[in-house]
Amino acid sequence: MNYPVWDVAFGAGLLIAVVSILHVFVSHFAVGGGLFLVLTERKARRNNDTALLNWLKSHTRFFVLVTVVFGVVSGVGIWFTIGLINPMATASLIHIYVWGWAIEWIFFFLEITAALLYLYGWDKLEPRLHMWYGWIYFIAAYISLVVINGIITFMLTPGSWIRNHQFWRGFFNPTYFPSVVLRTAIALALAGIYALITASVQKDSALKARIVRWSALWIVPSLAVMPLIGWWYIRRVPADIWANARGAMPTGSLFATLAVVFLAVTFALALLALLRPGRIHLAFSLLVAVVALGTMGSFEFVREAIRKPYVIQGYLYSNSLYAKQMPGDGGFTTDEVSNAGVLKSAKWIHIRDLTPQNQVIVGHEIFRVECQSCHTQNAYRGIKELIVSRQWNQNKIQAMLGGLEFMHNGVMPPFSGTDPERAALAAYLSSLQPIPANAVAATDGKTVFAQNCSMCHQVTAADPLFKNLPQDPNAAADALRDLTALFPLMPDIKLSDQQRPALVQWINSQRSGILRSANEPAATQGEN
Amino acid sequence: MMQQNLIPTLDPNPLPAPYWVFKLLLIVTFFLHILAMNFMLGGGVLALASKWRSSKLTHGNRLFHDIAKKLPSLLPATITIGIAPLLFVQVLYGQFFYTSSILLAWPWFLVLVFLTIAYYGFYYASFQSGKNTARAGNVMLISVILIFVIGFIYTNNLTLSQTPSRWSQKYFASPSGWSLNLSEPTLIPRYLHFMVAAVAMGGLLLVFIALANWKRDRDYARQVLQFGGKAFMYAMMTQLVIGVWFLVSLPRNLLMLFMGDNRLATSLLLVGIAGGLAVIFLMSDALHKENLRMAAFIVPGITVVVMLCMSVMRDILRDAYLNPYFNPGQFVVKTQWAVFPLFLALFIGGVILWLIMLKRYGLFGRARTADTPPSPNH
Repeated sequence: MNYPVWDVAFGAGLLIAVVSILHVFVSHFAVGGGLFLVLTERKARRNNDTALLNWLKSHTRFFVLVTVVFGVVSGVGIWFTIGLINPMATASLIHIYVWGWAIEWIFFFLEITAALLYLYGWDKLEPRLHMWYGWIYFIAAYISLVVINGIITFMLTPGSWIRNHQFWRGFFNPTYFPSVVLRTAIALALAGIYALITASVQKDSALKARIVRWSALWIVPSLAVMPLIGWWYIRRVPADIWANARGAMPTGSLFATLAVVFLAVTFALALLALLRPGRIHLAFSLLVAVVALGTMGSFEFVREAIRKPYVIQGYLYSNSLYAKQMPGDGGFTTDEVSNAGVLKSAKWIHIRDLTPQNQVIVGHEIFRVECQSCHTQNAYRGIKELIVSRQWNQNKIQAMLGGLEFMHNGVMPPFSGTDPERAALAAYLSSLQPIPANAVAATDGKTVFAQNCSMCHQVTAADPLFKNLPQDPNAAADALRDLTALFPLMPDIKLSDQQRPALVQWINSQRSGILRSANEPAATQGEN
Repeated sequence: MMQQNLIPTLDPNPLPAPYWVFKLLLIVTFFLHILAMNFMLGGGVLALASKWRSSKLTHGNRLFHDIAKKLPSLLPATITIGIAPLLFVQVLYGQFFYTSSILLAWPWFLVLVFLTIAYYGFYYASFQSGKNTARAGNVMLISVILIFVIGFIYTNNLTLSQTPSRWSQKYFASPSGWSLNLSEPTLIPRYLHFMVAAVAMGGLLLVFIALANWKRDRDYARQVLQFGGKAFMYAMMTQLVIGVWFLVSLPRNLLMLFMGDNRLATSLLLVGIAGGLAVIFLMSDALHKENLRMAAFIVPGITVVVMLCMSVMRDILRDAYLNPYFNPGQFVVKTQWAVFPLFLALFIGGVILWLIMLKRYGLFGRARTADTPPSPNH
């Protein structure tokens, strides 16, 4: 609301995701690959392995072309992209951590200089000096990881910074160390994975086999310890946040599963490469890289997804509203916007008055400033599809908007704005594909649940719906007549006389199953 | 709508060091960034020129090759140094910079795409320049054009960032992120002022190449010196004309800053013009007398001073543009003493290590080499 909104039809969030994931896939290689270069050079020189040394020389060129070109530009690219799409969060990260970024920049500059001198020094410098540049490269690159890690983990788990706003408190936050170790392992694994690519195009099969075996030494142990580090990392993430990756939130859970699957496949492929190390094909090495990219991308997606509804946990929401009032907040907190109204608070909207005639247009403006940082109309996290699949008419949308913050384990910020503004947003969302108020509603219990309850309620024994709803079908159906009386924060939606008994019947049919699984805690824990 | 109301509210987190610290860092790192950019872009332009003039320049292709080898280092130097002013401009002027970037979001985002292509192009040209000069030249041409386009996008963004009065009309006409600042009267002269400066500095890069080859290959060095020196002179002459154009295209109240209203701005302008004139005559004299010391040390020294003056003038101009909307007093300052000294120490240490790295490589003289003789051209 403080900044203009860039309309990206396919989804601004997707743009950030693509740029960032490609960048981290290269930047972690830039760190691990640096160590790989010096240690491989040392090994080759000790063994007088000229063939390996010659390969390493060409691998250095590949390394520089990937990391110093694409890695550097995409790194700047993240700055450009987040500044365009989430300037509030970018401004916060800049102002809180400018000295962190500046320190990182010093090492980044040393890193790039060392990389180029290492590359050009292959035919020019004596071995010890050449390796000296390699070490400087790696150490500088690693320090830059160590610094950025503090800021990235701060966004997920700012720890006591929220209270004291102290630089180092936020920097060395609860997930700092597990994340450093995890990213170190990723960097080492990627060093080997990228090496497979240049190894696979070697004609000398004995050399190829040597490189593949050596690369596997980087990949296999790093991947093998990852579940352990992951476990440590997860333990440092507050349980309610981690629940987002354990079923409470669709995106987080999907990518958590994908991360595990991709990790296992990468591991299996790395072992497979060892079967015939002298004969691995370029296509195979690229496959390993793509699967590794899938692993890395899924991990970053999980991290981003479970952080929702925040960009900086507990401080700034994804839609650029502050969680709590503070001096200088400009009125951009959820409470203040709810009191004053979006039309009075937002800077970059051109309609200031809401009338019955301009409801839809105003609703669209509210959507742009409050929802569009994550949602699109029809593409990435398309809102139209969500509404159509749930068959929500305008009244139901309006009711549901009142409880956004309860949906999917609190993945969304609350709606901020006045009641008429909420009605306007509902009018706009409904206009995307109107569901008539008198449309025939689904009457089978499962669908009724999916369309009306599943956003907030989970099929678990602990969920209030399954825990507290009376067992007696008539009493239960009666209780569902007035939801807000049942619990004041429930949306005021009316289920029909056919829907209520059907829903109750379905809920009762699920109860026995979930009670059984609740009594077998070992089974659920084992799903990890 | 009142323009004041559109200016985004400052980030509530206090400045973690006094305002002047960031201002100093912004100006100094911007100056270094522009220096690297000038060598890179100007080098690219003159590499192409030397190839196209190879009928007259007997060493044209060799010079092309020599410059082409340097571009893959000069471009990352431009980018990596450029990150610092990008950081500091966000610290001080984020509310203006983000907003204008969003208004031209697609061109701004495309900078990344163009930069990647240009960068790979430079690498390709450097690998191919000794083998297939024609193809290397064509690829380099594409890269250089893309860099010119990037410069144009930058000028659009930066001019738009300091003219908030244009924002609302542009944004509410189309929020799709394609609003360039083409109606800005200073756009073209300002853009050309940067681009022609690059050609001049490219000329100095050639003078340095001449210096490096002076003892080994006098014939080549002499030709490069003449070619680079003349490019420098002609570009500087053009620069004086464009500079005046830029000056008179400014709104009157801003123009007057440089005409006596602001003593510092006026003095800097005078020093800049005097320096600009001086280096033209000194270079002319140096070329005539083949005075390498003059061409490679004194002229670049004065030019650097001129560029520093220009960088400060640019900053004064920005603050004057933003005067109605921006007041350094609005910042709450709370210096992060727990980390700011660490930055300073690491910065000094980093510079020292960086210099040692260059020295040990032999960029300031002889390196400890394996078997091949040192080549200052690397």
